[in-house]
Amino acid sequence: MSQPLLQVSDISKRFGGLRALSGVSLTVAAGEIVGLIGPNGAGKTTLFSTLVGLHRPDSGAIRLNGKDLVGLKPHRIAAAGMVKTFQNVALFLDFSVLDNVLTGGLLHLSVTEARDLARRCLEQVGIAGIADKLARDLSFPERARVEVARALCTQPKVLLLDEAMAALNHVEMDAFIALLRQLRGEGLTLVIVEHHMRAIMSLCDRIVVLNFGQLIATGTPAEVSRDPAVIQAYLGSSAA
Amino acid sequence: MNRSTLLRGLGLAVLLAVAVATPFLLDPRGYAIRVVCLALLFAAMAQCWNIVAGLANQVSLGHAAFFGIGAYTSTLLLIHFGLSPWLGMLVGAVLGGIAAFLISLPTMRLKGHYFALATLAFGEVMRVIANSWSGLTGGPVGISVPFAPPSFAMMQFKETRPYYWLMLAALVVVTLVFVAIRRSKLGYRLRAIKENADAAEVIGVDTTRTKITAAVISGMLTACLGTLYAQFQFFFDPDTVFGVASISVRMAMIAIVGGIGTAAGPILGAFFVIPLEEFANDLFSSRAAGLSQLVFGVLLIGVILIEPRGFMALGSRIRRLFGKGGRP
Ligand SMILES: Nc1ncnc2c1ncn2[C@@H]1O[C@H](COP(=O)(O)OP(=O)(O)OP(=O)(O)O)[C@@H](O)[C@H]1O
Ligand SMILES: [Mg+2]
Repeated sequence: MSQPLLQVSDISKRFGGLRALSGVSLTVAAGEIVGLIGPNGAGKTTLFSTLVGLHRPDSGAIRLNGKDLVGLKPHRIAAAGMVKTFQNVALFLDFSVLDNVLTGGLLHLSVTEARDLARRCLEQVGIAGIADKLARDLSFPERARVEVARALCTQPKVLLLDEAMAALNHVEMDAFIALLRQLRGEGLTLVIVEHHMRAIMSLCDRIVVLNFGQLIATGTPAEVSRDPAVIQAYLGSSAA
Repeated sequence: MNRSTLLRGLGLAVLLAVAVATPFLLDPRGYAIRVVCLALLFAAMAQCWNIVAGLANQVSLGHAAFFGIGAYTSTLLLIHFGLSPWLGMLVGAVLGGIAAFLISLPTMRLKGHYFALATLAFGEVMRVIANSWSGLTGGPVGISVPFAPPSFAMMQFKETRPYYWLMLAALVVVTLVFVAIRRSKLGYRLRAIKENADAAEVIGVDTTRTKITAAVISGMLTACLGTLYAQFQFFFDPDTVFGVASISVRMAMIAIVGGIGTAAGPILGAFFVIPLEEFANDLFSSRAAGLSQLVFGVLLIGVILIEPRGFMALGSRIRRLFGKGGRP
């Protein structure tokens, strides 16, 4: 394998006295789907926020295609090709669904081109029917999918999904898993945080496990699910 | 083009025709036409303010700074160099843009009240400077626009009617700029920042640059309107053109009363607020000087309490009441 697409080296992040991330290192190859799991409060969202530049790590390096991202503002990181969705879903509530997605497209395109791409993204995510609805009128699962479409519309290389499947039912989840496989087929690299083990196990090439801000295991789904440290971490908490 | 946009375009055309013809219905030397001129000018000013405050929710209380810069720049250039106010207006726009850029750098990260207060302070600093730098501005006694033979080139007219058309043209231009911005990349980005700044950044919106761009456009246009005001009034002083109550708050008030973030809001607001103010002045000032301000203030508070999103929202509320749906 050549140089990995995303290389995270030894990053740490403190919030006051709390060590949210301590010395986390991981690599993601182009075209991979990597699952990021761990009990509540393990630092998954913090890691994503740090990767996209919402937090600045106290130490460590983040490289995308060899380019150092530490200290860059989120919009620069988006331009470099990495975006995330928000765990609590951060839509522009007074925008229509189409305008939400379109705004993502403006990163590389004109308004007209972005509108066309936005329609395709909505179709891809399976919500073309609600394009003209106001975001604030949507249900939570719909909102989560709009946010995924908006992230896709920025034409990312790496997409970080923070519990995008949280509110989906089984049928919706299967469709979503199929969508993520298809996106990977089109060359997208994905890192996903999920509490749904079924989705993680069936989708991911590799799984990375965080606990108390530290990386405690990495491997294939089968390897990780047998790992004593992982079992201990999950049994030791009430999560999942 | 579908039917509703066609109807809307037709409606706007009729409205514009009526607006252009209005001066023929008013006494050209009368008081009413001057009030309408001021209403048009303040509508345009509120529209400038609307670019930053309406789209990005950065409520400035310091726009008088740009207005005063425009008024003083063209007037001083006219006095000292005989420069046409049209050219003076362009110089004023550049200076207004620079001022907007400089004040944006430290304030852009501020939100809500903090941004409002910082911009308020900036406007006040400009007023104090204009008052104390008498050598340049003439200080508190004010400054007069030198008379020139009436001509379009010198932006001076014998009658009030040409000023009316000038103000109307300014309002149309500024409104078109507002609408164009709202539909452009810049407009989407500004509104995205207003909705959720973090999410906007993460999907690639350079929030700092976006806000500064809008502020500079807004500052430049506001400065241009300062020149129109100077040419219309022929005399002004620092407390008028750099005033918090007379300019900054009034611009904000007009846009808020009419409907912040909408193109029609500032226009509705100005044609409500300015005539009302004149009327209140007329009614009370001979008997009790402060009373008109009080009555005026109470009325505005009333409007804002009833519908904080202004007349535009009130309109769509009424439309919804009659089952026609609100704004899309
Ligand atoms: N902005 C912040 N300021 C202070 N502490 C924070 C902040 N963000 C997260 N934390 C803390 O950092 C730790 C990691 O939180 P994080 O949200 O990253 O966990 P997570 O793995 O995403 O959890 P969950 O599964 O519940 O989403 C938690 O203890 C949390 O309270
Ligand atoms: Mg989380």
